[in-house]
Amino acid sequence: MSTPLSDLMLNDRGFVFDPASGETFQLNPTGLRIVRLLQSGLSHDAALTQMVSEFEVDEHTAQRDFSDFLENAVRLGWRIE
Amino acid sequence: MHSPRIAVSGLHRGENPQPGASIVRSLRRRFPNAFIVGLVYDALESGIYAEDGPDVVYPMPYPTSGATAFLQRLDSILEKSPVDYLIPTLDAEIELLVHLEEALTERGLRTYLPDKEMLSHRAKNHLPELAKTCGVAVPDTRPVYDIAEALAVAAECGYPLMVKGQYYDAKMVSTEQALFAAVFKLFSEWGAPAILQRCVRGPEFNALGLGDGEGGIVGLCTIRKTIISNQGKGLGGITVLDPRLDEFCTRLIRALRWRGPFEIEAMLDEARGEYVLIEINPRFPAWVDFPSMLGINFPAALVQMMDVDRKPAPLPRCAPGHFYVRHQVEVAGHIEQLAALSTSADFEALDMARSLEGAAPSAPTPFPIEMGDDGASPSNGSARRHAH
Repeated sequence: MSTPLSDLMLNDRGFVFDPASGETFQLNPTGLRIVRLLQSGLSHDAALTQMVSEFEVDEHTAQRDFSDFLENAVRLGWRIE
Repeated sequence: MHSPRIAVSGLHRGENPQPGASIVRSLRRRFPNAFIVGLVYDALESGIYAEDGPDVVYPMPYPTSGATAFLQRLDSILEKSPVDYLIPTLDAEIELLVHLEEALTERGLRTYLPDKEMLSHRAKNHLPELAKTCGVAVPDTRPVYDIAEALAVAAECGYPLMVKGQYYDAKMVSTEQALFAAVFKLFSEWGAPAILQRCVRGPEFNALGLGDGEGGIVGLCTIRKTIISNQGKGLGGITVLDPRLDEFCTRLIRALRWRGPFEIEAMLDEARGEYVLIEINPRFPAWVDFPSMLGINFPAALVQMMDVDRKPAPLPRCAPGHFYVRHQVEVAGHIEQLAALSTSADFEALDMARSLEGAAPSAPTPFPIEMGDDGASPSNGSARRHAH
């Protein structure tokens, strides 16, 4: 049972509502940015590149954090496309 | 249909609210000039005294009194306050009324109810067969007809278990002593069987809808319960939109060819990752006015279905993310109103507009109260206590 990331309803403060499960979540600013980028239709690689440029981190760190977030998202019941 | 005349039962909205008061509110939203007759079983049903409540109220004999008593009272009511539509909201009433379709039609009363077969197929003790037919999951559910059988089933299934009455009440038990007490209480209040159901862990979901009698669903609103009382009642819920839950409901209603209002109670079994069927109620739930506030008025649609007796346009879905929180308030009544409804020797209508005049602060206290013709009046020095 998982909800496509594109279906999640969220606001600018990182409050997330899963419309299928009825659960609510809180994202930190980085998580919110990742979800927004993926919801906009960017590929994982393109979203990662964007993160590197916006957050001024090295690619290795960004890659690790990005992967950690996606793993966590799957555990929360979200489907990453 | 600007001023429909509609009878609605089940007006209590206390700790364990009935659907009637919510239905009345929804009807008033769509039909402000409707004439609404409240059918009550207790003078303290709180919806009697609500500001947007019924225009007139009549006490009814309990459905367990049988068809004759029920119809006789209905005839007397129709003579005084004619109505065109009847919306029963209590499981025990519906159980009786599905046998009286012809009698109701003869009286010019329109209803929109399942038939006997549909009603029986969704009964708690038949859930496993229904679930199997539809390919939906159901927790291990067993009807038990005596205490010894209950103890044997519990020993086989293990604790904790849900113990349920045929119509009402559900309690989780974790010990043999608690099981004994719960089953004994249900037998004494509702008779056999009691239903034992294996406990499921996970969030609870409810679906409110209207079946068209041909297997289709005219409207559906699905929620996740967000606040649950100690009795398992949903004190809060949020609208959700999950295709898997919709499919789950569609399969059940299609198999039953359900006609009329329904509420499907389901849980998302955390262990199996799938929805499981808990029960199907043959009526609107107490939260039916919540979608009406969002513009999706199920009671008004039901009246339309009773009126034209054809499939109306499907109701739109409630968008996900709307929530309700149950808000209890006090409603005020006057002893005169209570007296009018509590008189058992002869029944009379409680006209809410007229009785409110009598209850105005400037009015003299309306004592003595006539107690009917059973000899218990203040003038001869005898009295009796009403059993509320």
